[in-house]
Amino acid sequence: MGGVTKPRGPGWLGKSNLTPALRLALITLVVCGIAFPLLVTAVAQTLFPYQADGELVKLDGRAVGSNLLAQQFTRPIFFQPRNNSASGVDPDITLENALSQAERVSNATGIPLAQLDRLVYENVQGRFLIFGSPYVNVLKLNLLLIQSYPEIYGKYG
Amino acid sequence: MDLSEAFELFLILGSVLISARLLAPYVAGVYTNSRSRLERVFAPLEKLIFRALGVDALRVMGWKEYFLSAVIANAFAMALAFVILMFQNFFPLDPQGFHGLSLGLAFQTVVSFGTNTNLQHYNGESSLSYLSQMGAIQFLQFSSAATGICFGVAMVRGFITGSKGLGNFYSDFVRTITRILLPFSLLSSVALVWLGVPQTISGYASVIGIEGIRQTIPVGPVASLVSIMQIGTNGGGYYGANSAYPLQNPNPATDVLELYLMMLLPTCLIFAFGRLLGKKREARPLLISAYSLYALNLLVAFLAPLPSAQAPGIEVRFGGFLSTFWTVTTTSTMTGSVNASLYAMNPLAILSAFMGMFVQAAPGGVGSGLAYMLMYVLITVFVVGLMSGRTPEYLGLKIGARDLKLLMLAFLIHPLIILVPTILAYVSGAAAAVNAGSGPLGLTAIMYEFASAASNNGSDFLGAAANTQFFNLSTAFVMLIGRYAPLGLLMALSGSMIGRKRFFTTGLDTASFAFSGVLVLSVLVLVVLTFLPFLALGPILSYLRGMVNGFG
Amino acid sequence: MASSAERATEGPGSAAPRGRGAKRDLTAELGKSEMLLDSLRGLNPLSLLSNPVMLTVEIAFFLALAVALYPQAFGRLASPDGRAFYVSVAALLLLTVWLASLTEAMAERQAKMSARSLRKMEAEVTCRKLVTVGWERLSTLVKSSELRKGDVLLVEAGEMVPIDGEVIEGIATVDEALVSGESRPVRKAPGDILIGGSCVTSDSLTIRVAANPGETFVDRMIQLVETSKRPKTPNEKALSVVLLGFTAIFSIVIASLLGLGLALGLSLDIGILLALYVCLLPTTIGALLPAIGISGIARLQKSRVLAKSGRAIETAGDTDVILLDKTGTITVGNRRAVEFVPFTGYTERDVGEAAFLSSWHDDTPEGRSIITLAYERGFVPRELNALALAESSAFSAATRLSRVKLVPSKGFLVKGGLGINQRERHRRKSFDAAGEIEELEILKGAPDAVKPLAKKLPAEFDTIVDGISGSGDTAMIILKNGIPLGAVRLKDELRRGIVEKIVSLREMGIRPVMLTGDQSLTAERIANEAGIEEYIARAKPEDKFRVVQSEQSQSKVVAMIGDGTNDAPALALSDIGLAMNSGTQAAKEAANFVDLDSDPAKIIDIVVLGKQLLTTRGAVTTFSLANDVAKYFAILPVLFAASEPALRSLNILGLSLHTAVLSALLFNALIIPILVPLALRGVPFRPSSTMSIFLRNFAIYGLGGLVVPFVGIKLIDIVLSTLAGWVA
Repeated sequence: MGGVTKPRGPGWLGKSNLTPALRLALITLVVCGIAFPLLVTAVAQTLFPYQADGELVKLDGRAVGSNLLAQQFTRPIFFQPRNNSASGVDPDITLENALSQAERVSNATGIPLAQLDRLVYENVQGRFLIFGSPYVNVLKLNLLLIQSYPEIYGKYG
Repeated sequence: MDLSEAFELFLILGSVLISARLLAPYVAGVYTNSRSRLERVFAPLEKLIFRALGVDALRVMGWKEYFLSAVIANAFAMALAFVILMFQNFFPLDPQGFHGLSLGLAFQTVVSFGTNTNLQHYNGESSLSYLSQMGAIQFLQFSSAATGICFGVAMVRGFITGSKGLGNFYSDFVRTITRILLPFSLLSSVALVWLGVPQTISGYASVIGIEGIRQTIPVGPVASLVSIMQIGTNGGGYYGANSAYPLQNPNPATDVLELYLMMLLPTCLIFAFGRLLGKKREARPLLISAYSLYALNLLVAFLAPLPSAQAPGIEVRFGGFLSTFWTVTTTSTMTGSVNASLYAMNPLAILSAFMGMFVQAAPGGVGSGLAYMLMYVLITVFVVGLMSGRTPEYLGLKIGARDLKLLMLAFLIHPLIILVPTILAYVSGAAAAVNAGSGPLGLTAIMYEFASAASNNGSDFLGAAANTQFFNLSTAFVMLIGRYAPLGLLMALSGSMIGRKRFFTTGLDTASFAFSGVLVLSVLVLVVLTFLPFLALGPILSYLRGMVNGFG
Repeated sequence: MASSAERATEGPGSAAPRGRGAKRDLTAELGKSEMLLDSLRGLNPLSLLSNPVMLTVEIAFFLALAVALYPQAFGRLASPDGRAFYVSVAALLLLTVWLASLTEAMAERQAKMSARSLRKMEAEVTCRKLVTVGWERLSTLVKSSELRKGDVLLVEAGEMVPIDGEVIEGIATVDEALVSGESRPVRKAPGDILIGGSCVTSDSLTIRVAANPGETFVDRMIQLVETSKRPKTPNEKALSVVLLGFTAIFSIVIASLLGLGLALGLSLDIGILLALYVCLLPTTIGALLPAIGISGIARLQKSRVLAKSGRAIETAGDTDVILLDKTGTITVGNRRAVEFVPFTGYTERDVGEAAFLSSWHDDTPEGRSIITLAYERGFVPRELNALALAESSAFSAATRLSRVKLVPSKGFLVKGGLGINQRERHRRKSFDAAGEIEELEILKGAPDAVKPLAKKLPAEFDTIVDGISGSGDTAMIILKNGIPLGAVRLKDELRRGIVEKIVSLREMGIRPVMLTGDQSLTAERIANEAGIEEYIARAKPEDKFRVVQSEQSQSKVVAMIGDGTNDAPALALSDIGLAMNSGTQAAKEAANFVDLDSDPAKIIDIVVLGKQLLTTRGAVTTFSLANDVAKYFAILPVLFAASEPALRSLNILGLSLHTAVLSALLFNALIIPILVPLALRGVPFRPSSTMSIFLRNFAIYGLGGLVVPFVGIKLIDIVLSTLAGWVA
């Protein structure tokens, strides 16, 4: 028979358990709420500065947006993101959506549809190992358009 | 769900199970004061902390002292976070110059994060400073996850042969943080950054877009928050849209990683349960029933046609499968993060989500899920176990009238704090104020709010719209009762096992597959009997009316 | 003296031994009308306070009644056209409560009947109390209810023993028919125990009262079955908490449903809601729970075992280890002498005559069987008459020896013939003188007890002893003036059916341990024959205590049987102690159970009964809760039919919307009387492992509980809707 020792110690609210509890909260705040995120920030900024800053994309050395955030495109010469989704800033469209928009872009720019389709397919991403289904990042696709067809998209370049 | 998706599902859950099993000895070792390979890192840090706390970390506590210490420490943590949220504009790290939160919202927020719920009535990117995200949100996420695990472990200790008490709360809490939550979060934070999640304390980036429109890129210390929120089954996101927001969950790779992280600790703690008991077999029925009930939730959700990737409320990069999988997982683990709008989900997926939050143990939140599963085991052992012709006993401990009082009370608090506030929301007009109608969709949204609050889940339909006095106060109270009342009762139960006579029984073999099956059925019948009429008026009615999502 | 004896026999105590006919009278006495009246009394809400489930149903009944009487008072929750429906609901709710109350009354009746038959044993009689005044012993007539523990009574032939007591003087035959059920006179001598209710048939006895009236075993047993006084067993208490818990949960559910219905503007009907409420409540177990416990005790009484507490019966189900005395439990109580085996230099007659002398004062069954064998062989010693003057010490379990010392005197030879009841006859016979008798000491005892006392041991001592024990028999060595003459072979016979009982014990996971005073070869042999692996040989009564203690220190639940005063400490320590009615008062005081038939093998039946009680409670509870799933599917579609027609698809049984609710309620009520036989007789019990008992019952009452109501409600609905069709 294991002897049963009645745990001695503080009863109800008292200084003996208020003080350590307050200290515990403070220490946790400092360690987990301040030191930890700062440490992760330091590591992230050192190892993966591009991702850590939000995958900002640059055009001619100037940040024009983030790969991870939908940018508003209104002109028919660009592919356009969806305007409803869960986050409201979904940066991606489905492959079918992109292909269907290619026709409009082609009409607006005169770029042959086949070339646009090829560009879309080259820009398909979204599979991680076997996970996910193919999708197209709108900003990346539009930047590719600007870079591939400077004569058409000159003023944006 | 097609075949390749089914394969994905098994691959993710398979790796969760394997790594949880592999990590179990380490995690169990944290609570038996075993040395780890990183002892030289942990030990001095912990020694320092214990000295600062001024406590004897080896002194064993009874259930009252353990529970009380946890509640007081939680209260202080919430108070500290409350101060930061209320006065964030007076503190550094507020590059966007956000104002302090209103009293009601700040109160609701600290209670929500302090109780591991993470029901958010605000949009982080437009209202919280970096210091608030770190010093209030992440801090409480660590603190509440550690507290949950402490409750779970302490509950288990009551059942360990020869236990003299439920352990020392301060020691358990500190070691949980230093040895489990911090290292796990550090690794996963770095992995998340690598995969594309931001982590910076510089202000939001502001850019001129290609068409010349100014755009703000709301970055910040995101990865460190996302890692603990998933590992600790907290669920409260950096952004209002949570893990549907591309900066928090940029691609399928991060999505899968986050899914994995949600399931990891709740699963691992089940394995650790067997090790802590010194009877590894006894983890089997808990694992089988947790995963069977989870599988059943998945099955129900996947019975309906999945939403397409282009459907409203679905992020293209995740599509219908990963979104539905996430919705079921986040509600089965009490995490509550979302990667798609709940409105986009088929009513059957919402039915699953409700089941997850009603059961609370499939596998449930960190620590609390284990405690609730033990509650079901004990109820089953008694009611059904009587049929074995012996006085029902679990691990050789006979279950008596007082135990059942505590168990039944712990169980019935849950329906009470979900159903009563739901009715109040309608009667008071608060539901109408957030445009929740009296139809199945409205009822689903309101009942979900309180089911989520009561089970400390945190996912919701209402979001920032629920930042009203009624919902802030009512959910805060529901979260507090939902967190501390049942777990307190279960701790009292566990505490009463200390020193109780043990019978070396030839009785009911609780580790057997047969018992596991009985356990699954019992939990299911218990929960269905309690909630069926309300599910019928909510998601079941939506489904029978032929709705495919909540936008109808 | 004679006249006072006559007066003394005027009471009911003077009656001749009662047969079973008396019981039939009792049945008539406790008629069915009384039971019906009891069941109606049970409808009083105050008497339902101890049964919250049924109290809740009754409250629901009053509500339903109110709805039926004043539907308009309930606004849109009730429609005035639904009066007939509300009346039917109210009627069915009342029927449910009444059926529950009737069940309890039936069980009580069953128990009271057996209790009253026990009570008859202690009928009020006038008896002769002996009071010592100075040198004189005076007899006074007192009522048996005025007797106190320690009083001394004289009971003469034809009188009833008024109360439990111990014989202090006299030898007489006693009929224990009323107590043991068998009308066979038993000889009682000083030291023997008499149980109240037995009848002295010859001679007279002086007895000392062992218990105050109202404190005897029978009294305690009677208290157990009177429900008002019956304390709940630990498992009953725990189960009541569960039932209360479910009542609370379903109250929350129904109240919330009502509240939500009002808040959302659903048109819910209060009548249907009440019906759903009652259907969900665990009414089946709520109704049957009291009956299960009472009938358990009644069944125990029927098998003529007195239990001191319901708790003890329940604990019996948890037994891990049973200590079984070899003699009387595993083997037939009487070991029989079958052979005299002489050592070299002596004849069979030498051994037989010495054995005869040594056994004359030995009242054990073995001793008597030696006398019988000696007579049969004609080995009657000439020293017979000297026995009257002999000093003797009876066989005791501690020394395992009996001793006779003859003093020098004249011997006689037997003149008469031989008969069955030789000893009685020879007491009155005359004997011929047969010469002088020298001083003589004869010892009889177990080989190892005798060995150190023997003056010289013959070479074949061990061979003969081992030969006898090796064949499962017991050897008794006879020593004459310290010289071993030979051995008596005592044969052990297994009790009929004991092997099967041992097998079923093992199947239930219970370890039988055999205790015997025999040496280990004998013990092993018997244990093997009985199928017992563990045995303790050369056990002394104190060993029982030690074994109980050591098993309990390993947290085992230990059951044992005892009859001697020596057994009392072990009986008190053990979790389940069964004392023999023929045993000493001390043993009976210490035990939880007393078997009136003095059949030790009944301990196994007690264990089975304990298991059966738990199983029955669990089975009915599980069944009751599993039933609720089907009831939801029967009632919810109707409840929501008006406001949410889409939910009609939940009507998977295809019930008629007009009769579905009544069908479910009727099923809910009828399942109670249907399960009454199960509650009163217990779930059929086949001894097997705990796990297979569990799984078998789970399949029947758990899974069956899910399916049966679907079928039952559907069938009732077909009948009801057909009837409704005819009426319309």
